[in-house]
Amino acid sequence: MRDYPLENRYAFPAHEVAFNKGASISLSPVKGGFVVHVLGDAKSDEAALKQTINKIAPELGTDVRGHSPNQWFWVGSVDISNDRLAEISAALHPQFVMTDQTHGRVRMKLSGPSSRVVLAKGTMVDLSPDLFAIGQSAMTQIGHIGAMITRVADDSFELIVLRSFAGSLWDELQHMAAEFSHG
Amino acid sequence: MSSLVKCPHCGLRPREEFTIRGEVATPRPAAGADEAAWFDHVYLRDNPRGEHREYWHHSGGCRRWLVLSRNTLTHETSEVVDASTLKSEGGA
Ligand SMILES: [Zn+2]
Repeated sequence: MRDYPLENRYAFPAHEVAFNKGASISLSPVKGGFVVHVLGDAKSDEAALKQTINKIAPELGTDVRGHSPNQWFWVGSVDISNDRLAEISAALHPQFVMTDQTHGRVRMKLSGPSSRVVLAKGTMVDLSPDLFAIGQSAMTQIGHIGAMITRVADDSFELIVLRSFAGSLWDELQHMAAEFSHG
Repeated sequence: MSSLVKCPHCGLRPREEFTIRGEVATPRPAAGADEAAWFDHVYLRDNPRGEHREYWHHSGGCRRWLVLSRNTLTHETSEVVDASTLKSEGGA
């Protein structure tokens, strides 16, 4: 038995409404779901990863975001139990291994017509619609905080950040977006 | 304006995303080589005027070690490759 109680703490500020309704920018935590880090061997590729996921757990989708050669974050919106994850891990094609990063890395969504201008204050990755397509990801830094940016819709970006940086990034994004925060 | 480096995996990125390790040293001497050879390998650097190869770590991106060719005179960077390619050169 442990001799101290475990406390389930939320990674985001308690007051999570960042901007007025009607502002050209919105920021919200992405709650629930999973983030799994997948490592492949040198010959692995994204198509093979999607294929093996599709075979084992088609219900979880194949939203995989490459952040390095042969490394991906597999992301989904459904909550999965540890048992199910262990099952999937065991059934994975042997050229891949996975580590659960759910809670270790958290997601937030920055949307609205001003989202690109706001992100451009923090990263030098060119997020122009014609260069950064929907579904495309980039591992980069927003200010000094390492983050993965994924374009999920027309003017909408999902950010994956280490849990302990979530509060700081949230705060920083609010400052970066202050000029657009009034509806 | 920050200088841009073309990571072979991530594309054009600002210099701030990288950590610079320094010159790509000559291949490691044989295990039994004499002290002078080891001293040279560990401590002595050429500091050339012109083309120079350095290890850069893309710490703010793909986290891969890269080998970058930089002109020490103009600071222009030319070829950037993944450091694993040095294996085939027999270096590192
Ligand atoms: Zn890179």
